[in-house]
Amino acid sequence: MTNTRPGTFVVHTATFEGPLDQLLRLAQQGQVDLQTLPLADIAADYLAHARRDFDVDDVTETIWMLAALIELKARALLPQPPPPEEPPVDDASDLEELLEERLAAYRAFKDVATALRALEAYQQRVFLRPPDEPDEPLLSGVALTDLFRAFQEVLARGRERGAEIPPEGITVADRMAAVLALLAAHPDGVPFDALFPPEASRLEIVVTFLALLELIRLLRVRVMQEARFGTIRIHARIPQEGRSGAEAG
Amino acid sequence: MTDPRIREAANAIECVLLVSGEPVRLDQLVEAAQAPPEVVIAATELLQQEYADRGLEIQAVAGGYQLGTRPAYAEAVRRYLGAAGREPLSQAALETLAIVAYRQPITRPEIEALRGVRSEYILERLEERRLIKAVGRKQTVGRPILYGTTDAFLRYFGLRDLSDLPPIEAFGRGAPNAAAAGAPVNTSSEP
Repeated sequence: MTNTRPGTFVVHTATFEGPLDQLLRLAQQGQVDLQTLPLADIAADYLAHARRDFDVDDVTETIWMLAALIELKARALLPQPPPPEEPPVDDASDLEELLEERLAAYRAFKDVATALRALEAYQQRVFLRPPDEPDEPLLSGVALTDLFRAFQEVLARGRERGAEIPPEGITVADRMAAVLALLAAHPDGVPFDALFPPEASRLEIVVTFLALLELIRLLRVRVMQEARFGTIRIHARIPQEGRSGAEAG
Repeated sequence: MTDPRIREAANAIECVLLVSGEPVRLDQLVEAAQAPPEVVIAATELLQQEYADRGLEIQAVAGGYQLGTRPAYAEAVRRYLGAAGREPLSQAALETLAIVAYRQPITRPEIEALRGVRSEYILERLEERRLIKAVGRKQTVGRPILYGTTDAFLRYFGLRDLSDLPPIEAFGRGAPNAAAAGAPVNTSSEP
């Protein structure tokens, strides 16, 4: 079906001689040793041919066929992954066995869960003496309303300035990291206002406040206020295991 | 006649356990009571004997000793505190926790393969309750987080350490075990 009109590009290599589309067809059928097929030479020949006899349709088609050959050869050159160690479970009895095994494992965990439930029930009836005073109060002298009042003050300041800085993808996670970094640099803690740089946009203020609330929830910071309406100070808190309240009476 | 050194250490330990409100490790007791470990161990045994028919009991938990109320009197304590019972773990949470406890360190995909359902939410809740924690990352594609149990886990179930977990038959078929039947016995002297 190859039309060998004059001007049609013909491939000349040691192993193949003929039109390119035929070479491609044979390559796709696996009848050509792609490893030894000199694609660079063929491409160079074609470039020389195209300089003499240029036809847009012909060039488009030829480039496509060369690209297809390059892809085939690239695949042939790539090392083949070793066949999977275990053939996939196709045998019905194997599958059954696997399911059976899974089920047995799951049943074993259900059994120990029952045992753990008994231990839980026992231990929930044991009351320990609650610690007198948490030695590290999380919110000492600070009511949530104080925190929000301080937040509103900062927010109002942010509002007074006219131009809003366009949002730049401020995330709570980023602000949490920034607050922790600030606190790490100030072991004695920082005043509440210091969390909010003067140039902070409202978005940044809001997100920073959310970050602070999240850090309080995660027990990563302590918030203290010496006197009513006094300065609120934020301290880093050394995370410690235990005192989780999970077991305290 | 009790060795006066043991009597003295036992009294000191009793005081420490009262104010602690959480498990106190052997080395902490040695430090507080200023007595050698063997005396402290003998003293805790003495205390456990003496508390045998009292309202309080001394438990060996999470690598230490703790003084707590005896479960038989939980109702009296609750009536006084006016507090409802603590919320037990959900069945799904308990099963997930069991898998973490026995197969730790373990990744979420491995847990999900065993349970056959997504477990992200449950793992987050367990982490929030401090019953499990990230203990590292598996050196495999995606470096998934490895989970393990915490000291709070041991206290929650009143376990001395992980070897104190109820025995599991690796792939056993419905092996019931003793711990499921009743209360644990906390008379061992080893922390």
